[in-house]
Amino acid sequence: MHYPEPISKLMDSFMKLPGIGPKTAGRLAFFVLSMKEDTVLDFAKALVDAKRNLQFCSVCGHITDIDPCYICQDQSRDRTTICVVQDPKDVIAMEKMRDYRGLYHVLQGAISPMDGIGPEDINVPSLLTRLQEDEVEELILATNPTIEGEATAMYISRLVRPSGITTTRIAHGLPVGGDLEYADEVTLSRALEGRREL
Amino acid sequence: MHIDRLKLTNYRNYEALELNFSPTMNVLIGENAQGKTNVMEAIYVLAMAKSHRTSNDRELIRWEQECGKIEGDVQRKFGYMPIELTISKKGKKAKVNHLEQNRLSMYVGQMNVVMFAPEDLNIVKGSPQLRRRFLDMEIGQISRVYLHDLVNFQKILKQRNALLKANRGKLDLQDVMFDIYTEQYIQVAVQIILKRFYFMELLQKWANPIHQGISRGLETLEVSYGTLKDLHSGQTAEEMETIFADQLKSVRRRELERGLTLVGPHRDDLQFFVNGYDIQTYGSQGQQRTTALSLKLAEIELVKQEVGETPILLLDDVLSELDDYRQSHLLSTMQGQVQTFVTTTNIAGIDHNTIQEAAIFEVHDGSVLPRD
Repeated sequence: MHYPEPISKLMDSFMKLPGIGPKTAGRLAFFVLSMKEDTVLDFAKALVDAKRNLQFCSVCGHITDIDPCYICQDQSRDRTTICVVQDPKDVIAMEKMRDYRGLYHVLQGAISPMDGIGPEDINVPSLLTRLQEDEVEELILATNPTIEGEATAMYISRLVRPSGITTTRIAHGLPVGGDLEYADEVTLSRALEGRREL
Repeated sequence: MHIDRLKLTNYRNYEALELNFSPTMNVLIGENAQGKTNVMEAIYVLAMAKSHRTSNDRELIRWEQECGKIEGDVQRKFGYMPIELTISKKGKKAKVNHLEQNRLSMYVGQMNVVMFAPEDLNIVKGSPQLRRRFLDMEIGQISRVYLHDLVNFQKILKQRNALLKANRGKLDLQDVMFDIYTEQYIQVAVQIILKRFYFMELLQKWANPIHQGISRGLETLEVSYGTLKDLHSGQTAEEMETIFADQLKSVRRRELERGLTLVGPHRDDLQFFVNGYDIQTYGSQGQQRTTALSLKLAEIELVKQEVGETPILLLDDVLSELDDYRQSHLLSTMQGQVQTFVTTTNIAGIDHNTIQEAAIFEVHDGSVLPRD
């Protein structure tokens, strides 16, 4: 196959995005040709703006266009609780819930010695400074229920323990509204381990 | 349970093949390199969604084809059920009762098989790694939680080793992360050890009477599971964790010197005693084979107990490895109870009622024909 250079360059760019292979890239590139020039310019500008104007919040590490971010600035939020998550996407998921009124701290990853990621490589030091300065009473550890997420949660809870701040870990188990019979054995056995008295 | 019908499309050397099986004994006869083992493998793959011979699924697809398919009709206690597995270069898709399954892990277990191939004869005399693999495959077939624990164990072990390697030589290491991984390591390792103890006790219970039968009552078989010292079955998880932690503490210095985890289930092994003698060292070839056979037959009983139905037995090229008495004992034990598939190059040497009543298939150059 032989494409004119501008097209193949555009396809190469699309293919840098996750989940896009050569066929989809070709379809997208040819669609761009059929778009109005203004729309294409807006599109390109949106891409550049997102990259240029977004930064990490200097307080919590969430992605933001203003510093500190809108959550950290919101004075109506409960400043005594911080929820620790791995990823900015996790903040969005938590916010969709609309039930949590505390603040966040985004680690930007998890500790993984295998990949050479230690506590200093993610936002753990900034969390510790925050805990010393602010009036925090509870730290909710909402890292992923994977080996690395679990180890990171345990690590933070050990560092924080001497300060007297309550640390809690989110529960894992059965999805709400699901049928017991459809749960896989592993989830079911973890749910059984985490049972509580009524 | 038994499989009534097998249909292969673009699988290994078969472009299209359809076979109807006997619910009792099926014998595939043919020269070497004609395609006998490929049929056995196809039944195995249909049950386990992976091959016992290769980890590369592409090898299963016929040369220069995009995808291969295995279909089978399985007769179970509660009724008949068609299952289907499609293998393509992108991955595998499974159907049960014409319904596509979202996860392959939900598919495995619809049909249970026990395979006995020449390489299984090495369980006894081969490396400890082979015996651990045997343990993991067998327990995994019955317990999905075990498989999950095993994957977690491997990950934690890697993380812990990475920490040890990074801090190699720092003999007075004080690191919170290392303590955490050690704690997690102990927890999941003990879960694995507990399951292995449970499984080995069951296996021992079934294997010994079988072994006595095969050896005409002359030999008793004892299987012993060797893990960390001072761990025994009957201890609680908490007791094991304490003992484990102590042993890790005592090798801490050496672990930091070498940058490697030195204690754990990744170093477990099995030992086999016939009449009290360790047959890995003192047994004859024949005794080692008989032991391997007893273990595999015990597995049938085990699956029967845990799943509630007899699995399908696949004997690939192993009859010729056994003497006449052992052959006929094996076949008469299976007679009428377990659907059995046997491959052999020569039927003349096997003189037994079951073989005479069996459905016989002649395999020649990629064609399989039932003999009337």
